[in-house]
Amino acid sequence: MSTEKEMGYFYTDWASMTVNDWVGLIVTVTVALVLAVAYFLVFNPKNKEQLESQRYLVDGVEGEKFLAENSIHGENK
Amino acid sequence: MEAAEKYDFSAVRWFSIAAVVYLVVGTLVGFYIAAELAWPVLNLDLPYTTFGRLRPLHTNAVIFAFGGSTLMATAFYSVQRTCGTRIWSPGMAWFTFWGWNLIIVSAVITLPLGITQGKEYAELEWPIDLAIAVVWLSFFINFVMTLVNKKTSHIYVSNWFFLGMLVMITYLHVVNSLAIPVSLFKSYSLFSGVQDAMIQWWWGHNAVGFYLTAGFLGIMYYFVPKQANRPVYSYRLSVIHFWALMFGYVWLGAHHLQYTALPDWTGSLGAAVSLAMIIPSWGGAVNGMMTLSGAWDKLRDDYILRFLIVSLAFYAMSTFEGPVMSVKTVNALSHYTDWTIGHVHSGALGWVAMVAAGALYHLVEKLWNTKMYSPALVNLHFWLATIGAVVYITAMWVSGIMQGLMWRDYDEYGTLSYTFAESVAAMMPYYKMRAIGGLIYWLGGVVMLYNVVVTVATAKDRQA
Repeated sequence: MSTEKEMGYFYTDWASMTVNDWVGLIVTVTVALVLAVAYFLVFNPKNKEQLESQRYLVDGVEGEKFLAENSIHGENK
Repeated sequence: MEAAEKYDFSAVRWFSIAAVVYLVVGTLVGFYIAAELAWPVLNLDLPYTTFGRLRPLHTNAVIFAFGGSTLMATAFYSVQRTCGTRIWSPGMAWFTFWGWNLIIVSAVITLPLGITQGKEYAELEWPIDLAIAVVWLSFFINFVMTLVNKKTSHIYVSNWFFLGMLVMITYLHVVNSLAIPVSLFKSYSLFSGVQDAMIQWWWGHNAVGFYLTAGFLGIMYYFVPKQANRPVYSYRLSVIHFWALMFGYVWLGAHHLQYTALPDWTGSLGAAVSLAMIIPSWGGAVNGMMTLSGAWDKLRDDYILRFLIVSLAFYAMSTFEGPVMSVKTVNALSHYTDWTIGHVHSGALGWVAMVAAGALYHLVEKLWNTKMYSPALVNLHFWLATIGAVVYITAMWVSGIMQGLMWRDYDEYGTLSYTFAESVAAMMPYYKMRAIGGLIYWLGGVVMLYNVVVTVATAKDRQA
């Protein structure tokens, strides 16, 4: 079969990597990891109330008053 | 405290009116050049009125005049409301307004004269590029300083989207516009060859990604909840939507250069990230639409809300279509055809202009403390916009796919089945259909302008 050809897609000549290549690679991998951490933090049930309370900030100061008066969520208790 | 005392919306009012005027002017030029393709006699044998010169005038008018005025109006309005504070510098907001309009006038003069850098969505010559940078920075600084003075504990998500747009467009505009001037109205890009093409499409796609998407998502996250009178469906989804969009979009430009001198892997990476972007884009669209969860009946008689929600359906559709078109197999058929034009306009007419129309109607009611003069005309505008957009998009889809199929078709001897001229002739009915769609859409804009002008003119009488 064409395993050799398919494996060719994954071949990297590390010795010929330039500084730009390394910077690009490191930025890409870092961004992917940071996004994975962001997914974990945002969808962690422990953070749900605190994050969802910020929905009311669409009303600005009035939204914060509403949160305080109704003792809603997270740090706005 | 009254809103009029607490905030300063003077420049916002003018930006709002300017946006509606530019919607009508920009789409009128678009309709005219669409008609030029259907009826070439309309080029008038004058260099100033040819398709090649008027087309960048159309794109600059709708993106920067209409889109820019809308973004500045909505950003300056919503940042004050969500932060509970006055704009940092009303004087600087006025500077932004007059500066931006001066740039628009410069575009109207220079583009028909053929003064251009030849870079798509960045045609304006270097002196105007410098002016754009200064005026844009005044918008940026004023927005950020207003955020700094906020009276709330957190920055609401709509402001994050506006901020992302401001940061990225500054960066993109400066790098893409780096050029060596050789005279007052002529310059050459600092980059050459494939690097120039890559920088150009890094800018080109991010003008779509950050200016026409992130900025207008800022509009969506403020105006949908306000018009629906209920908080956004999921704040957590909005946070993921924001970060995934910010980090993902910058990679996509390479998908505009499939099958060119650009290294193959770069195009593949652009396509792969494009496909990944379906997830946050649909997350955002669902988030906006589900804000109406339990209150869908509001769509029955709130025509402004209809604009906002239907725009999200177009947003979801075009953010699915775009990634599909970026895949090499599909791109081999779609590239250089009218399918691309259809795709762009499903985003521009369906998403950008409709969410903007919804936000502008909402703004007019709030800024002049009244209701729209005629809700029936808002409804008429909604249907003209929806029908016009669908007619336009459908014409370009059919035309584009037919073009692609004709160009790649060959007989048993390996000879192309059709000449290029035959494919042009085959497209003519669809060019006429596209012009009709554009005309319908433009009429909707005229109806909006009339309704807004009468609303503003009669606001005081109707309050009494």
